[in-house]
Amino acid sequence: MTDARKQQGEKLTEAEAIERAKQGDAAAFKVLYDLHKRRVYSLCLRMTQNTASAEDLTQEAFLQLFRKIGTFRGESAFSTWLHRMSVNVVLMQLRKKNLPIVPIDDTLEGDEEGTIKKEPGAPDERLAGSIDRLRLQRAVDELPPGYRTIFVLHDVEGYEHNEIAEMVGCSIGNSKSQLHKARLKLRELLRVDRAEKARK
Amino acid sequence: MTCFEFERDLPECVEGQPSPEQQAHLNSCPACSGLLLDLNSIASQAKMLSAAEEPSAAVWNALEQRLRSEGLIRRSGPVYLPAEAKPSFMQRWRAAWLIPVAAVLAVVAVVKLYHPVNVGDKNPVATQSQPQPQAPVQVARGKHKPALSHEDQQWLSTVSSRPPAQLAKFRSNLDQANAFIEDAQESLQQDPNDVYMQQMLMNAYEQKQMLYEMVVDDSSH
Repeated sequence: MTDARKQQGEKLTEAEAIERAKQGDAAAFKVLYDLHKRRVYSLCLRMTQNTASAEDLTQEAFLQLFRKIGTFRGESAFSTWLHRMSVNVVLMQLRKKNLPIVPIDDTLEGDEEGTIKKEPGAPDERLAGSIDRLRLQRAVDELPPGYRTIFVLHDVEGYEHNEIAEMVGCSIGNSKSQLHKARLKLRELLRVDRAEKARK
Repeated sequence: MTCFEFERDLPECVEGQPSPEQQAHLNSCPACSGLLLDLNSIASQAKMLSAAEEPSAAVWNALEQRLRSEGLIRRSGPVYLPAEAKPSFMQRWRAAWLIPVAAVLAVVAVVKLYHPVNVGDKNPVATQSQPQPQAPVQVARGKHKPALSHEDQQWLSTVSSRPPAQLAKFRSNLDQANAFIEDAQESLQQDPNDVYMQQMLMNAYEQKQMLYEMVVDDSSH
């Protein structure tokens, strides 16, 4: 059973909620909000690292969605439409704050790219299996803003590089390159975190 | 293949399958295989971060307020009433007779509109499979003000001594509640088995009853 059906005594599907929302039905707006609020808010929080900003942006994204819901014709999935709108709202906000969306390449130069630390026969150095959600979340929060944007859009939200390039305004190659650097940086952050914990 | 060559093509390797040449290198190089394992693990664990957090209730409250102020919410929302000071016990119960009147109205409406499918119906399938054409639910508030019943007029006369602005609010709330009732009744006439609309009708009557109760509570003014 979907959340929407629970909300309306097992009667209102997402498609029905969309149609009712087009007619200005308050309950339908709430059903749509409840269905998607977690994903939209999580995206905003990941990108801004600030709960107050994330809540403001969540509100703004849904407001824009509901203003335009009359134009939704169902050519794409509703969630795709909503998340694309949310990403645009967040990116617009980041631009207003002059935060880098695509990082300057030398931020991490010499830090990781092409400098794999050799660890022959040292399986204890590997992270696989020791990454939990909280540790990863903390590490993502520590990423430089530009790397974080690409990583969140690709690995967390599941956008393809061509979509990211279009949204962010960079080349596909740049998106791929930034993603790779972001993952390498995360690996370093997670290793440092694990090493610190091991020392304590 | 050297480690340098492997690292050069590493991004493609993380998102896809290693080539036979890369696989051969991975089999012989613990550093590169460890790196690939970590990056794959990071990429796959990242999906757990999606939809992990929930916004506070204040977000919906603020959003709903903005939707209302922009006129995007046009029906089936709660009726907002002005906050008033608490009157005395006697003053509160002066117009108490209106409550049972509203309750009786609600019961009568439900009994009148509830048409379950008869168990012994000779052709129940035909009855259900030929629904009436669905007309879009009209928003009565936007079209016209529904006519006031005798009880409504009495209710308004009870509050007639209030300041004009407050009186206008009461009237507006009453019109809104009546509009919801009219909308729901119209829809139920087309499809008496529409459970959603039955619930909407009940909610509308509850809102109207709440309005009547507010008269009782605020009759000190």
